[in-house]
Amino acid sequence: MTASTRPTSSRTSRPLVPHRATTTLVTLGFPVVVLLVAIAIALSWRDVLPDPIAVHWGSDGVNGYGDLGSHLAAMVGITLAMSGFMWAVGFFSGRDALTRRLAGGVAAWFGVFMAGVFVGSLGPQRGLADAAQAEPVGAVLVASILIACLAGGLAAWLMPADPAEAATDPIPADAPRMPLAASGQAVWIRDATVGGARWFLVVLALAMAAMIVISRQWEVFAILGLVFSLVFVLLARWTVTVDRTGLTVRPLTGRPRIHVPLAEVLEAEVVSVRPVAEFGGWGIRTGAAGRTGVVLRSGPALQVVRTGGRTFVVTVDDAETGAALLNTLAARARRTD
Amino acid sequence: MLFTIDASAPEPLFEQLAVQVRSAVARGELTAGTRLPSARELAASLTVNLHTVLRAYQDLRDEGLLELRRGRGAVVTARAEQDYLPLREAIDHLVSVSRRLGLAPVTTTALIKEALR
Repeated sequence: MTASTRPTSSRTSRPLVPHRATTTLVTLGFPVVVLLVAIAIALSWRDVLPDPIAVHWGSDGVNGYGDLGSHLAAMVGITLAMSGFMWAVGFFSGRDALTRRLAGGVAAWFGVFMAGVFVGSLGPQRGLADAAQAEPVGAVLVASILIACLAGGLAAWLMPADPAEAATDPIPADAPRMPLAASGQAVWIRDATVGGARWFLVVLALAMAAMIVISRQWEVFAILGLVFSLVFVLLARWTVTVDRTGLTVRPLTGRPRIHVPLAEVLEAEVVSVRPVAEFGGWGIRTGAAGRTGVVLRSGPALQVVRTGGRTFVVTVDDAETGAALLNTLAARARRTD
Repeated sequence: MLFTIDASAPEPLFEQLAVQVRSAVARGELTAGTRLPSARELAASLTVNLHTVLRAYQDLRDEGLLELRRGRGAVVTARAEQDYLPLREAIDHLVSVSRRLGLAPVTTTALIKEALR
């Protein structure tokens, strides 16, 4: 292969972001439809709603009022801003399916949540003479979050996967390797766990306890606290595997599973990750230039430069061994092709 | 941890796997409470028979190195760490003495092989 016919799989060229139409449909189209439905419902109730309507509840009942028009405009504005941001992330940086799934999932979650809280808090106010009588909307909040999670999960799941794109360049000669007999098989399996983010659970528990005391709506915050804790526990421990199929990263639940086939590995390396600076926090993240990662702690991480202009990183101990084995297996797979 | 097997090597595959767990414990790389990958996972990754991995894990359990729990997989025991600690210390000592004497690694390993015969 000569340098003049460098294929799109080279790490120097940046191919187009795939599936832009679907990304636009899910991040912008779906929330807009949800908004239109919410607006239509709210407007059909215009004549039976009190004026002003209740828009905020405190520990002693309603403590915020507003007129329907400006409340509606605020809801639409915030939702469209979030949708637009997620569209931009997916459209311009969505080379990795993970990024597109995150963008689609967050946009769908947010649209449904905002519309759900909006419609759900208006519904019980129909027929009231004075909005001060409106009941608190704790149940609406919980229901909206749960339905939004379903919508977000569905949107993320429906986003199309990356097109398969085998690398043609050899693994760089200076990439770390390990000795492995030609007839040998090898696997590297390592658990990756959260570091300081453990404190997140403690802070969350304290915040929920404080909210229970202040709001006197313990059911709502107990349920929310349980849901968040469950998600945290399920995503706090991941298993990282390098074997003849490539790199696989999956949490306790087995899903979402991130897989990089050997054929798509351009180079594996060890890097040092700063979660907040590079990814804006911990978790399943997209960082600058669409670099994706399972970021659980700061420090050494296994990074894979992949075809299609993609880079994936996972914070795991002994990343040297994982990177060396991944390069070795990828080089071997390419030779026998 | 890293597992490698070589079908063309004279040792049986289950023994190759068991040796690597023992060495990892002796090196202090596997500590008490560490969970090893499930036999099913390991067998699939290495394309070996499930019973090959199970045989290795059962041998290690019989030696007291692993505890096998249904559903939880194989866990390194506290005893394994304790039992292998003197060996690790002896090796560290051996290495430092042979370095002080300026012995070539080949000479040191030859001495050990002879002593083990």
